[in-house]
Amino acid sequence: MTDDAQIQTAAITPPDRAREARAIAIGVAGWVVPGLGHALQKMWGRAITFFVVVGVLVIVGAGMRGNLFRSEGGDAFAALGYFADLGTGSFYWLAKYIEVGGSDVSHAYGDYGTRFLAAAGVLNLLAALHAYEAARGRKA
Amino acid sequence: MKFHLSHLQAMLLFALMISIAFGFLSRRRPLDRVKYIVWSLFLFLLFGIGIGWAMYPFSR
Repeated sequence: MTDDAQIQTAAITPPDRAREARAIAIGVAGWVVPGLGHALQKMWGRAITFFVVVGVLVIVGAGMRGNLFRSEGGDAFAALGYFADLGTGSFYWLAKYIEVGGSDVSHAYGDYGTRFLAAAGVLNLLAALHAYEAARGRKA
Repeated sequence: MKFHLSHLQAMLLFALMISIAFGFLSRRRPLDRVKYIVWSLFLFLLFGIGIGWAMYPFSR
């Protein structure tokens, strides 16, 4: 490595680490509260959209008495469902609060509700990943 | 809070929400977003209703 390259690396590394740490924090914030990752970057349209879309999917999914998976699921599908539901971040507790009567997948709409909840989680994870990438400067 | 949506209502709501999210995620300009949302929604409905009709002969 030449002296010039060493100087350049030393000059770039500290801000890059700070930027990476900020990007991770933004990604986590976007996961915990849907849209917050974009709001912190002043991407208001995306922030509001993800908050509303994930919120609507969670409220309707729980209102349709979809299956909200828990950590003690038992099999691989339940674990996968739990992972997807956790993707909604803090809205997982909102769904729990709405679904006081528990899930009911004996009807078609209960099954649809399960898909709504899982889709909300996966969509929020995708949004959080997008916020993280945007914070890193890869895409916006 | 309870919702009793029909199959079609659930599909319409799901398709609309996902299309809006994808539109905002993948496009930056408002017009591009609208085009993407409309096209995505159309494809969701086309495939949803199409698959529904394709299964119809086996439903009885």
